[in-house]
Amino acid sequence: MMAGSRKRDQALAELIESHDSSRGLLIAFEGPDGSGKTTQRKLLQTWLESRGQPVVATKWASSPLFKPLLKSRRRLRTMSVEEYSLLHAVDFRHRVETSILPALWSGKTVLADRYLFTALARDAARGLDLDWLLHVYSPLLWPDLVIYFSMTPKDSSRRIASTRSPRYYDAGQDVTGIDDPLTSYGSFIDRVVTEYGNLAVVFKFVSVDAGEAVYRQHTHVRGLVQQAEKRSWSAFSKEALEEWLNKTTRPSGS
Amino acid sequence: MAEQDDSTVRLVAIDGSRGSDVAAAAEALAAEVREHGASCVISRWDASGLFGEMAQAEVQQRQVSARNLTLVFAADLVFRLRWEIRPALAAGHVVIAAPYVDTAVALARACGLPEGWLREVLRFAPPATIRGWSRERKTDRAWKRRLDRGYPEYCAAMLAAADPRFRAKRTRRAMVEFLQDVKGPKPMDLSKRGLEQAARRIAATGNPPASPSPVASRPRTARK
Repeated sequence: MMAGSRKRDQALAELIESHDSSRGLLIAFEGPDGSGKTTQRKLLQTWLESRGQPVVATKWASSPLFKPLLKSRRRLRTMSVEEYSLLHAVDFRHRVETSILPALWSGKTVLADRYLFTALARDAARGLDLDWLLHVYSPLLWPDLVIYFSMTPKDSSRRIASTRSPRYYDAGQDVTGIDDPLTSYGSFIDRVVTEYGNLAVVFKFVSVDAGEAVYRQHTHVRGLVQQAEKRSWSAFSKEALEEWLNKTTRPSGS
Repeated sequence: MAEQDDSTVRLVAIDGSRGSDVAAAAEALAAEVREHGASCVISRWDASGLFGEMAQAEVQQRQVSARNLTLVFAADLVFRLRWEIRPALAAGHVVIAAPYVDTAVALARACGLPEGWLREVLRFAPPATIRGWSRERKTDRAWKRRLDRGYPEYCAAMLAAADPRFRAKRTRRAMVEFLQDVKGPKPMDLSKRGLEQAARRIAATGNPPASPSPVASRPRTARK
């Protein structure tokens, strides 16, 4: 029994290692609201596709199974901090298992318009324990490159104010208790940016100045992607990979 | 994370590997507790409606893993604690949580998830003072793949739909073994006599509240 399971583990480890060179690159775009992540993600996607590279983009809270659940509860404004966090975690895990990992495995580049760091920063800013959050999101699938679009909380508030009124949870009104969404956002984003700052050190974010011109940022992003090196799956994301391979019907090409 | 408070002394957990047994045991215990003069409510699985809404999704979209289901269970439990369990405890009622943490942990462990992760994720749930475990006699068969029977049956149906290699019989056996292994106070006997003894003990721990029993969450099968 033990020998059989050891053999299976070894076979899985070899399978993961053999796929490390052919797999796609996972790039995460992070930053406060209004920092231009989506613009840069779209520009990079167009550029990569023009070079013949298959690309899959994944957005925050967009799993087809959990998005409707989140949407209805957001509208009702009934979620507690823990519930909000857990529902985003399940949405994220579902996307990792059903869209991100299959795409990476088949050699596609995945551009994540917000990754788990968004949840870590926002939920920690809401007062949740970072250690608990890391457990909720484990096993981690490490991105190969995290591009952080840095801007001050003041600039983020200014940009948001000029385009839209932030929604209840995005403005952190559930924790600030402030009625005005913009005032609440200003107070909440301050904490989120601080949390991003802490995460940047641990997870080695690469910063791009979100205040620069769009084309300059894009040139910078292109350079970063061209220089990006894959983080070894065996060393960083082994547990996540093994669980996915054990759970799913073995993906094609294996 | 919310801290545990004194009100948790009247929290009773009933767990098991079969949804209908857990529900029946909770009903029987609640009736006994009420007979002994204490006010009692039952907090049931899927009070938040999350599982019900998931079941309404198109079949192709229901590609869930045991980890997904555990996280949804945790979100549902947060909801139950916030809207049912903590308010009822604070008002002085006895709360029977059926199912509670051990059901989710045992099922997820049977599906291969590490216990450490499960206990960490569910650490926000206050420990129950008394726990009961509805034992199954015939464990050597698969669950009925019904989405409305209980948490184990729901998970079995969802996992089997997502992965044809899912082994329901083996998982059920493993779940029963893990439930047997749970550390903590000895589970109460859920026989007629055992329930009566437990009810006497529960009723003796506090004064019955002045207000009538609040409405408990409805049984899963009663929902449309």
